[in-house]
Amino acid sequence: MAAPAIIHVTIFAVYPILRGAGFSLFRMNLMQPWLHRFVGLRNYTDALSDPAIRHSLAVTLMFTASCVAMELALGLCLALLLWTDNRFNRVATILMLVPITVTPIVVGLIFRALLDPSFGLIGYWLTWAHLAPPQGLLGDTHTALMTMMAVDVWEWAPLAALILLAGLKSLPADSLDAAAIDGAGPVAKLGRIILPMMLPSIFLVLVLRVTDVFRTYDIVFAATGGGPGDSTNLLMLDAVKQGLQFFDIGYGSAISILMTLAIAILAGVIILALRGLDRRYNTL
Amino acid sequence: MKRRSLLAAGLGGAAALGWPRPGRSQSKPFDGMVLHLASVNDQYSPGLKALSARFKQETGITVLVDILGYGELQTKITTDYVGHTKGYDLATTDNVWAPQFAEAGYTVPLNDWMKRDAEAMKLDDIYPVLFTALGNYKGKQVAFPLAGYANVLAYRKDLYATARLQPPQTMQDLVANAYKLTDKSRNQYGWVANGQKGAACAQDWMQYLAEIGGVLVAKDQPTLDAPLNIQSLQTYKDLFQKAAPPGAVNWDWDGREASFRSGLAANMQTWSVGALGYFDPAQSKVTDSAALMVTPTAAGMKPRYGIGGWGIAINADIEDQRKQAAWTYIKWITSPEIHIALNQLNACSFLRRSELQDASLNRKYPFLPVIDESFTHGDADFRPRVPQYPEIQDILGTAVNSALVGAMTPAAALAAAQTQALRYF
Repeated sequence: MAAPAIIHVTIFAVYPILRGAGFSLFRMNLMQPWLHRFVGLRNYTDALSDPAIRHSLAVTLMFTASCVAMELALGLCLALLLWTDNRFNRVATILMLVPITVTPIVVGLIFRALLDPSFGLIGYWLTWAHLAPPQGLLGDTHTALMTMMAVDVWEWAPLAALILLAGLKSLPADSLDAAAIDGAGPVAKLGRIILPMMLPSIFLVLVLRVTDVFRTYDIVFAATGGGPGDSTNLLMLDAVKQGLQFFDIGYGSAISILMTLAIAILAGVIILALRGLDRRYNTL
Repeated sequence: MKRRSLLAAGLGGAAALGWPRPGRSQSKPFDGMVLHLASVNDQYSPGLKALSARFKQETGITVLVDILGYGELQTKITTDYVGHTKGYDLATTDNVWAPQFAEAGYTVPLNDWMKRDAEAMKLDDIYPVLFTALGNYKGKQVAFPLAGYANVLAYRKDLYATARLQPPQTMQDLVANAYKLTDKSRNQYGWVANGQKGAACAQDWMQYLAEIGGVLVAKDQPTLDAPLNIQSLQTYKDLFQKAAPPGAVNWDWDGREASFRSGLAANMQTWSVGALGYFDPAQSKVTDSAALMVTPTAAGMKPRYGIGGWGIAINADIEDQRKQAAWTYIKWITSPEIHIALNQLNACSFLRRSELQDASLNRKYPFLPVIDESFTHGDADFRPRVPQYPEIQDILGTAVNSALVGAMTPAAALAAAQTQALRYF
């Protein structure tokens, strides 16, 4: 029964990762085929000792942590607001799908245009009102990363909300009723009943978003190209640049494998943390 | 009967696969062949597509033009060359790719064929600088010039007249005029350039640097942090801060061109390929006041006009007969008559002296004397034509942008860039 899934994963996930891992052990620049040779872990040590890559890793971690935290918090608020089943909430839930359906590269281009201080519908007025720096939110090193985080949250918080809403709707009503009879207020219900019972949904949101945000490329590429300076330069931009712009397949593969390992570690931390929380709540 | 059907099916299949039909006439030796051309999505590419039917009529060769974005084209043809998959017979080639393609042997060197066909192709009618700029590396012609662009100065005649200023003769004049023509209270700016991180700001600064005599690679070594380069980046940064529209630090070519066409900026150095748009009322608010002139250089310097554009190259992996057919196409598309026809289709991409003298094209493009002057005194090396160019451009793309947004001083940004660049030499 599981054979098709195993074959699919082997061909489209395991094989490419193994192949990439193999490439990462070679000096392999497609523009210099005569220089191809085995270099062991040299590409990894080069990447880890490169200040630019280390900076990109730090920016990526900050971007991932901030976006996922905001998406989870905002998603939870939206889910709680939409929990009651009525016509308004049903329409609002459908409208929430709109940002998710827009291709990320288009989102990047739209926000770049909207936030431009000379031509942008939002950017012009923000600059005029001195609420944004003269060169615009995306043109200033102090505001560009936060702005990109806000754009990512705008697009993906609704997804978190939908997953969490599905979790809320599947909560057993009798537990909540029993808590109400026992005199639990809204905060107590949220902290002691709702959140502990929603840990599987929260886990899903965290793992999905961490793996996705860590690999962000399109939105940032289209909106800032990694600038101004290197303030929004995410690791994925470096991997793509090395592989598809410089055709340095060995070095690009090493960065990709490092990203895969980082994502695996982050996912492992989330699993361990939520398992700990689950145990704690079950013993309470 | 059965044998005849099999033969017919075989010939049909061969034709479909792009093989020449037996019994073809001598005037059409490649009749029935299908060539695949990968072209960048630029002003001339719709013209290439439109002219394919005429080429088929004259030669029997079908040319299927695949129009791709810049990055997509580079990735597709490079992987095609590396994998020896023969997906494209011909490809338009950015001038800065030529050194890498030449070193790797990915495209056919055309020197012998050019020598053989020089007279028929009227090669002496093509501006010599275009051969150097659009596909030559250390004497090896790995792409044939297809679309020559000149770096020109677009400026606003009306603003200059109102301010009683003369168009700049030197870079010093241009900088001074840019400040004088800036009036932020009227949303009027004296100057605009690409500021966005990456190729956009790197290329515009390289042009500016060349005009004041700066050099980025000397004796096969990078010289990114030379004193003149630092000084030029400081001046460039000042221009961005005091004379460019807000947001220019995040603009690439589209934003820069839009700012000029919308009347926001008084001066802009740009590629001539987009110039037709300034005089098109559908795109521009400055149709009556826009003008082009050659780019100024620093006082006392010899003119140094930046040359860019595209060559067309033949995949080295394809069979000899297909190479011959591809060369036939190159000869045809760059011939005087057809290249004029290409420009009648709004290509705004020039090659030949005779083309720039053509009366019909001079009516369509009122700025051809500027292109002629730029090509005559053109500089093919304002962007270093070395195999490490992509890396240098990327490094400068970050360094220049970092300086423009104030994240680093020009000296620190270029010093860091120099350290990075040394790794590739």
